[in-house]
Amino acid sequence: MYTFLLYITGRRQKTLALIETLKGFLTERFKDQYSLEIVDVLEDPRRAEEDMILATPTLVKSAPPPIRKIIGDFRNSQDLFALLNSRDHA
Amino acid sequence: MKHILVIDDDEAVRKLFLLSLEETGYSVFTANSGMDGIKAFKEGHYDLIFLDLKMPGMNGVETLRELRKIDRAVPVYIITAFHDEFFAQLKKAEADGMDFEVLRKPFDRRQLITATKGILEGPTSY
Repeated sequence: MYTFLLYITGRRQKTLALIETLKGFLTERFKDQYSLEIVDVLEDPRRAEEDMILATPTLVKSAPPPIRKIIGDFRNSQDLFALLNSRDHA
Repeated sequence: MKHILVIDDDEAVRKLFLLSLEETGYSVFTANSGMDGIKAFKEGHYDLIFLDLKMPGMNGVETLRELRKIDRAVPVYIITAFHDEFFAQLKKAEADGMDFEVLRKPFDRRQLITATKGILEGPTSY
């Protein structure tokens, strides 16, 4: 089971579109074998501080190990999964 | 070359941006106040803005509101500590439709380069 957290700032249209795109990628790749939690930094800055989130949006893969944090534009699924995979097999 | 505008009253922070990002291949222009930052933005073209939240005079949110009157699309990252006390005004700005992201401070040179590359060039892990 893969566990992801997405740290965002607010719920504007651009962010909502990002969430939908990301859900599409994750569902295509992991089917129902993943969970995605959305954390709005404006609502819970303490959690973002504890998780040492550098900037938004950041996607955190918290399981399976190793933990990975990815910042940037997630609209290209190949870039995203290349990062996840390269670190998993490093 | 990508052009970055840094608006921060702290000289040490401005220097950190300049030293870190210019050697990484970005063009960086700094302003030490919201007023100067808006003036610089009107006179140039920028791909990304880093904007300090707590500044004397025009603070980060007030500066953001003025910047968004000029350009609604340029990415703006508000530089702030992740504490509740700083976030009330950010929540108000977000509720008013202001578009921005946040960059947590403090940060070091390596983190700054990572964040900037992720924002401007595509996903980067940290």
